[in-house]
Parts: sequence; structure tokens; C-alpha cells
Amino acid sequence: MNKLLHNNTLFTLTLLGIATALAFLFFSFVSENTANIALLYIIAQILIARYTNGYLYGLFSSVFSVICINFFFTYPFFRLNFTLSGYPVTFIGMLIITLLTTATTSRLKKQTEILAKQEKQVQIARQESLRANLLRAVSHDLRTPLTSIIGTTSSLLSDGSILSDAEKKELLENIENDSSWLLNMVENLLSVTRINDTVTHQVNKTPEIVEEVVSEAVQRLKKRFPSASIVVHVPDDFLMIPMDAILIEQVLINLLENALIHSGSSHAPELTVTDHPDHVAFCVKDFGHGLNPDDIPDIFSGICHNTGSVDSHKGMGIGLSICKTIIDAHSGYIEAKNHTNGALFLFTLPKDEEENIPCSQK
Amino acid sequence: MQPKVNILFIEDERNILAFVTKLLYGHNYKVTTAATGTEGLQLINSICPDLILLDLGLPDMDGQTIIRQVRDWSDCPIIVISARTNEREKVKALDLGADDYITRPFGSAELLARIRTSLRHSNRMNTSSDQLFRPYKCGDLVLDFEKRTLTICGEIVHLTPIEYKILVFLAQNCGKVMTYSSIINNVWGPYADDNNRILRVNMTNIRRKIETNPADPKYIFTEVGVGYRMSEEH
Repeated sequence: MNKLLHNNTLFTLTLLGIATALAFLFFSFVSENTANIALLYIIAQILIARYTNGYLYGLFSSVFSVICINFFFTYPFFRLNFTLSGYPVTFIGMLIITLLTTATTSRLKKQTEILAKQEKQVQIARQESLRANLLRAVSHDLRTPLTSIIGTTSSLLSDGSILSDAEKKELLENIENDSSWLLNMVENLLSVTRINDTVTHQVNKTPEIVEEVVSEAVQRLKKRFPSASIVVHVPDDFLMIPMDAILIEQVLINLLENALIHSGSSHAPELTVTDHPDHVAFCVKDFGHGLNPDDIPDIFSGICHNTGSVDSHKGMGIGLSICKTIIDAHSGYIEAKNHTNGALFLFTLPKDEEENIPCSQK
Repeated sequence: MQPKVNILFIEDERNILAFVTKLLYGHNYKVTTAATGTEGLQLINSICPDLILLDLGLPDMDGQTIIRQVRDWSDCPIIVISARTNEREKVKALDLGADDYITRPFGSAELLARIRTSLRHSNRMNTSSDQLFRPYKCGDLVLDFEKRTLTICGEIVHLTPIEYKILVFLAQNCGKVMTYSSIINNVWGPYADDNNRILRVNMTNIRRKIETNPADPKYIFTEVGVGYRMSEEH
């Protein structure tokens, strides 16, 4: 605040000084025309009113200008004489100009401030509602399998004796499926906490070999779905790019799981990695019924409104919104679309030239 | 009757303790449990277990401390249990002398496999039999330590000396995860640069030579951020 005051004062004095110096210069050449000198001061005043805060500086500069003009540039020189004919008009005119300019500019400033504040509030509100939506979606998604687990276990406990072995096995398998689904969801949510800074949304990147990350993701998925088959293509070159491997694995697992479960097809999904000059692209393709075109625009928003789906509790909403968060934190790009016979998810990770220097050159 | 293998399980979660204890009993192991680190250390000193299962998140003591204290006087295999997302913790535990790790939550088959692997390796070390010179066989891959050759489906695969050294080290420790630094120490010696890039370039080349699809490997698995694990012999 003090600094601002200081700056304002300095600015006012400097401008008035410059105006006075110019006026003297002008006066030494053409001594008869005081109107032009007044113009110089008016310009200075308008600038002061525009670039300082509050009325004070404008008022001060206008009084100062009037006195200066009277003292230096009107007869009798170097003496104040307010009885000159028409002088009050100059004085009042300058005062009014200053006041009007100051009033206009300060109102403008205030308005832009209010606008900025409103925009910020709108943004915060939007973030809050996004978070609330995500939280609601998460709770809903978590509650459904939990309800089923609790229901199944209590029926096993109370009616265990009247159930056949096959029935018991089926119920236990349901519990296993539901809880492993829950675990994956928790892993997803936990992975987001690795994006440590909510302001900058940055992650800890280390150079990783693409095929190693891809293979670990595929292995982990196969552990959960032992019968699943996935076709993987990676480039033959040694590809090392900076990333948080755990997070990228999570993205790959989510996309591949979607392709396996939601595509409605038993055709093995394809994961293809391609190398480009400044980025690496990962593409997950399934051969099922594709995405509903209406869902595509906010497929990554975490809100899934495909109410028609049978297994809606295994909604892919949260998984995809987490994918987007992760890819955004890597300054990458992610998109979803349909290809001729199925859905296609594509994301890219930038290569960081600096990190790609082989260690022998370091 | 054969004396049973004695496993000490240090874990503070009662439900997990219960399920693992039942599982191990069912597979003919003798299980002793400890719910805190202090109790665990006392038991290690008094009963000298054949294997220690150690949860790294104990209430009273850092799991790393236990590993360090045990390694002062014992080679007893230690398998640590850790969360998946905590690579640094895992690497540290392994470099301090833990034999292997298993990420929570784990399946029973996975746990039993890790226990078998660790016990077999510790037996090998104790007997130092000529088993070490028996070729490593896994599927179509055969690594013959005497002839110093690698064959896949009977065809010789040409390896550079460094690649061969890495493979031998991984094969001798098959089934266990080997950290980047342990491989580098073993292959390049203790004064090697600890930058693991050169190792990873070599691993990429090895994969190109032995795996049909490097992105879907059969022999060498990557544990990103930790190290490599070579498949068990079969």
C-alpha cells in the first residue's frame, strides 16, 4: 500500500515536472501564447488522472498547474496574480477536466476489478461443483458394490447351511469381483493424490522406457482378468520419455479395462504406441459397439449419463476423468472418438528434449 | 514327521493376520505372529524363523529399522509387504537387504509363490550345491552357465558380455525382484555410475533378443521404478 502511494506521488511529480520543463522550453521560443502551455498541463493532468489511484493526485496536479501557469507564464512573471481577466475560466476549466477524467478512469478501474472478481468467483464455483459432482459419482459408484458385498456376505452367514456349494461359490465370486473392482477404484483415487500440487497440477516425472510401462500395465490387468487377451504394438526403437510411470500405468489400465468390459465385444482390444517427433502417442482401440456420440463431449468430465447401460455401477466416468487429470498433469492430450467398428481412446505424452540426452554425453 | 518351515508374520492388521495365518497353516507352514515391531524383533531373536513376512507400515517402528537390525546378524529371508504406489519405500527395503516384496493387496497364490521362491533361494545359498551350475530353463529359453550360452527353442541367441552377465544375475535370482542398483553393482561393479540408464538400454536390447513381443514379455518382467524380475523356472 505504501509502495503504491509512493509510486503514485512519484508519477504525479515527474509528469508535472516534465510538463513544466516543456512549458519553459516552449515559452522561451514563443512567449505570447499561454493557451498552448495550458494544453501541455492538461495533457499531463489527464495522464495523471488515468494512471494514479484516487482523486487526490488529479486535484493536486490541477491546482499545481493553475498556480504554475499563473506564476511562470502569465504577466506579471514570477508573481501570483489571480485578477487577470478570464483567469477564473482557465482555472475552473482545468479543474473540471481533471475531475471528469479522474472520475471516469477510477470508475473504469473499479468496474474491471469487479469483473475480475466475479470471474474468479464463477471459476471457483465451477470447480466446486465439479468436485461435488465427482464426489457424488464416486460415492455412488462405491456404494453399489459395497451394498452387494454386505448383502452377499450376510446371506452367506445366515443361510450358509441351505445354499448349495455351487451357489456359495457363485456368491463368493461376486464378492471377489465387487471388491477387486472397488480396489481398482481406490487405486484410481489414490493415484490422483500423487499429483501433489493442486495449483500447478504437476507430477514428478522420471525418464521411463515406454515398453516397460506398457508391459507392466498389461501384466497388472492380466492379473485381474486372467482370461483377457490384449494385442500390444510398440515401436522397435528405444523410447524413453519423462513421466510418472505409476500414473500412466493407471491411465493405460483404465482405458484397457474399459475396452475389455464396456465394448460389448470379445474381440481383443489393441494398444498401439507410436513415436512422433515431439511426442509419443498411445492408442487404445476396441471392436465393440462404440461410444454414444452424445456422450463424447463430456466423456472425461466424470459425469456419466448413460443411464441405459446395464452395469451402470461400473460406470467408466470416474476412471476416464482421472485419466484426463493425469494426462493434463503431464501436459499431454487425450481424446475419445469412434472408429469404423468400435471406440478409440488416444493420449499423447510430450518428449522432453533435455531429458533425452544419452548419459554418455552428460 | 518333517519339521515344518517356521514363518514369522509381523503385521498389525488383525484381519490380514488372520487370513494369512489360516492360508499358511493350510499349506503346512508353521506361523508365528507379531502385531508390533518390538514384539517382532524379540521373536526373531528367540525363535530364529525360517522366513519373515514384514509389513512396512507398523505402528511402533519403521519397518526399515527391523530389516537393518535383522541383517546385522542373520540372512533369514525377509519379504516385505508394501503399498503399490510407494516405490521408494520398496527400493529402500530391498537395498537394505529384504529379499522380495509383495504389494498389498495380494492374492494367496502370489504370496505362496513369493514364499516358496525366497525359501528356495535361501536353501541354495546355505547348501551352495552345484544347483547353481544347472542350466536355467524357462519355457523355450535355456541359459547354460557352463557353456555360457543362451538358447531359445534350441537356437543360440548372441549376447554381448554385459547382456550375458545381466541375464545370469537375474536367472540366478529368478522369481525375485532385483533392484536397479543391485544389478548395476553386480554387473558393473561397486564403483559404477548409479545412473540406471545404461542398464535399461541393455535390458531393452535383451528384451529385443529374447522376447517375441517386448511389450508383453514372457521371461523378464519390469517392476517400474524398482527393478526387474525374471520368471521362475518352469
